[in-house]
Amino acid sequence: MNPFGTFVQLVVDALAQGSLYAALALAIVLVNQATGLVNFAQGGMAVLGSYIGMTIGGLFIPLVGSTAGILIGIIGAVAASLLLGAFVERFVMRRFERAEEDTKVVATIGVLTLIVGLVGLIWGFNSIPYPFFFTSSESIRIGDVSVSVWSIVTFLTIIALMGVLQLLFRGTKMGLGLRAVADNSPSAALSGIRVGGMRMVGWGLAAALGTIAAILLASKSGLAPNNFDGILVYALAAVVIGGLDSPIGAVVAALGITVLESLAAAYIPWIGHDLKVVVPFVLIFVVLIVRPQGLFGRKAVVRV
Amino acid sequence: MSGFFALTSNRWFRLGAFGVLLVVLGVLPLVANEFTNQTVSHIAVIAVAILGLNIVMGYTGQVSLGHSFFVGIGAYCAIIPIQAWWGGPLAEGAIVIGFVLSILIPGLLGLLIALVAVRLRGLALAMITIALPTIALPLAQKFSDFTGGNEGISIRRLDYVGADGQIYKGNPFAAGPGLDNDQWQYYLIISIALVFFALAYFLVRGKYGRAFAIVKSNEAIASSMGISPYRYKVLAFTIAGVYGGASGFLLIVWGQYTSSETLAFHHSIEYVIASIVGGAGSIIGAVFGGVFYILVDQVMNGLQLAKYSAVVQGGVILVILFLLPGGLVSLPRAIRRLVRRRRGGHTVEAGRPADSASVNTKQ
Amino acid sequence: MAPSERNLLELTDVTAFYGPVQVLESVSIQVPESGAVGILGANGAGKTTTLRAISGTVRAGGSIVYEGQSIRGFKPEKVASLGIAHVPEGRGTLGNLTVRENLMVGAYLRKDRQQIATDLDYLLELFPNLKARIKSNASALSGGEQQMLAVSRAFMAKPRLLILDEPSLGLAPSTARNVYNAIAQLRKESGIAMLVVEQNANLAFSVVDSVTVLETGRNVLSGTTAELRGNDEIRKAYLGG
Repeated sequence: MNPFGTFVQLVVDALAQGSLYAALALAIVLVNQATGLVNFAQGGMAVLGSYIGMTIGGLFIPLVGSTAGILIGIIGAVAASLLLGAFVERFVMRRFERAEEDTKVVATIGVLTLIVGLVGLIWGFNSIPYPFFFTSSESIRIGDVSVSVWSIVTFLTIIALMGVLQLLFRGTKMGLGLRAVADNSPSAALSGIRVGGMRMVGWGLAAALGTIAAILLASKSGLAPNNFDGILVYALAAVVIGGLDSPIGAVVAALGITVLESLAAAYIPWIGHDLKVVVPFVLIFVVLIVRPQGLFGRKAVVRV
Repeated sequence: MSGFFALTSNRWFRLGAFGVLLVVLGVLPLVANEFTNQTVSHIAVIAVAILGLNIVMGYTGQVSLGHSFFVGIGAYCAIIPIQAWWGGPLAEGAIVIGFVLSILIPGLLGLLIALVAVRLRGLALAMITIALPTIALPLAQKFSDFTGGNEGISIRRLDYVGADGQIYKGNPFAAGPGLDNDQWQYYLIISIALVFFALAYFLVRGKYGRAFAIVKSNEAIASSMGISPYRYKVLAFTIAGVYGGASGFLLIVWGQYTSSETLAFHHSIEYVIASIVGGAGSIIGAVFGGVFYILVDQVMNGLQLAKYSAVVQGGVILVILFLLPGGLVSLPRAIRRLVRRRRGGHTVEAGRPADSASVNTKQ
Repeated sequence: MAPSERNLLELTDVTAFYGPVQVLESVSIQVPESGAVGILGANGAGKTTTLRAISGTVRAGGSIVYEGQSIRGFKPEKVASLGIAHVPEGRGTLGNLTVRENLMVGAYLRKDRQQIATDLDYLLELFPNLKARIKSNASALSGGEQQMLAVSRAFMAKPRLLILDEPSLGLAPSTARNVYNAIAQLRKESGIAMLVVEQNANLAFSVVDSVTVLETGRNVLSGTTAELRGNDEIRKAYLGG
């Protein structure tokens, strides 16, 4: 394939991969409780959700065939993760609402570690393939360029999800409530909005979003408890670079990071595949030094 | 019961208990077997690292999820000079150089990073700390000529020039006559660890410790008292770097080996968990943390229970955070409180505002 | 006040602590139906804490009775659902939401769509500034506009009792007077009860029927506007002589 074709393929794949990080980053920004909570637990819930999806799917595939079974699995995963997210918020995170920052962070780390450990115990630590609608190696030709089906589907799915979320947030009463709680929860309470309930919804949505991203990733790289550590760290990087309180920023940053990383890996031989992971993190340093609130951030994260 | 608790807070009792501890530590390797000595040494190695983390996280309240960076860099700073120069005329001097570098370079790095990072808070600061091992590990793998990459560097059998001019192979940390290797390494590690613990003890007893605590609880008040939060946070991070590096050096004394794995991010998480479980705001807590870390490491792996390791760590940390936020070291205090309450203590007064509670009651 | 008339809100010997510090020692206030009471006092007297005790933002002791029911210890969401709207110190503006969205948040608990739309229009007519910036983010508004937004938002809840914490804080005198004129008009047209905390006694007197003065968490002086307007102590302490 010609160099242009390679470039396009690289960018498309990067956008697809980046959209996964974007989904999780968006989830993290969604539950951002105005303190920029480092939320490792989101990753854990995404992992668990994807395993549940595989299990449910596995149950139904022999009954109703492959496509329907996979679909049911995904729906089941989303439903389970909605509940899981709400549960974790209500019974774990709420307990630490007024704790110090480092306590909250460690609590989310505890949740992540516990969930991943449980997943490993229940399903094993080896990589399991995730049955999906198509295999990850399929590609289609657009003109001169060969593009992976997975990349297209992933990218479009995530974009569609974000559209749905936008509708929810801007167009519904619940969305208004969620945003009010995220903006100023004591004030929202004074208008009668049930802050605890909204937080649970927020976490549930975030868990569901993360789960879908995890399922998409699993369909390509298989399911393994630690496969998703990568997405989580990249997602957090995107949140920080994009700005803690900016959903758009998180998405743009996630896509940008991934594209830059891929391009650097491909076109700067010194970096190559080995060092490409360094790119996003060097970016973090650069952005935070120059603009501590992130590229699109508004609230000050700088202590005076 | 209360008599017991009164006793434990008594100064002379504590000094006496410490003296007994020193004697026990001194005599232990002579009577215990190799495995025990190595385990206790390993605990000390980790405890020094956790102590550094306690100072920056527990005492000063700064999230640090990149501690394995300092330990790993310290280990390299120690092992590379030893590997290069121990065999030549410098001999033991190489070890000294290694030690100095292992506390100087990570400390310097901690300082530089802190100068930039400390102005940030929350997620931003945490990401900078996460970035450290994440960047360092692939770099260490890439420059494997220098660092040994994934395979690492071992100094168990180094070439050196003997008295007769012949080349022999030896271990820089082998014992002289009269002691076994594990005993010698034990004494070396424990004495260095004790020095670092003593330094930390005096640091937090004095004005620095008080300053850290004030900065942690309310920066506005700190500034108004003339205590610069920025400076003290930078100091805390630098100390964490130094202690992490020292732990790296001790790791080399313990096992004469390091690799890029030492830098791995998951170790940072393990350090943080161990720190909180032991008691993040306490000097002795670091020891408990070290015990927990090694316990999980050895028990889980030794008993083929490795697959339960994550569940145990996650479960324990959540239990600790829920029930005993001050860590294991605060257990006596918590029991005391429980006993007092059972005896019909004071009722909670009405009128306590909704926003005054803090989960983590550290000392 | 006739004994058969029940007060809408009655505080009796209310106490409150911030940690170990007792901010309210014994505060008693009565707000009759459709009445308006002002709380005056210096900084730190406990005025804001009193409002917070009512809305449930702060835990309190003593008796807080609203419409014959004790609401002490209720969470803010519950207190709001009972018809008490609290405009807090600092206004509680939802900065990242637009003016319109802020107002709709005010009406969050209501289900009567038509009436909500009508009330929205009414408030926008009353506050043309808000109408002009209806699509802007609330954080872009000036202090005075944010105050009007906060009051309007509270009004959108169609409360029976509106409690306001220092509406004039940080505002230029003319802006503050505008806000108070609007508050007075709202009161006249809707007949809702009000409890207003103010440092500026003159402004308070322009809207309330009676006033109580707090000092270190206690009532030290109470009376109707007519009685206290000419009172020397108040004049010296709060009206600048």
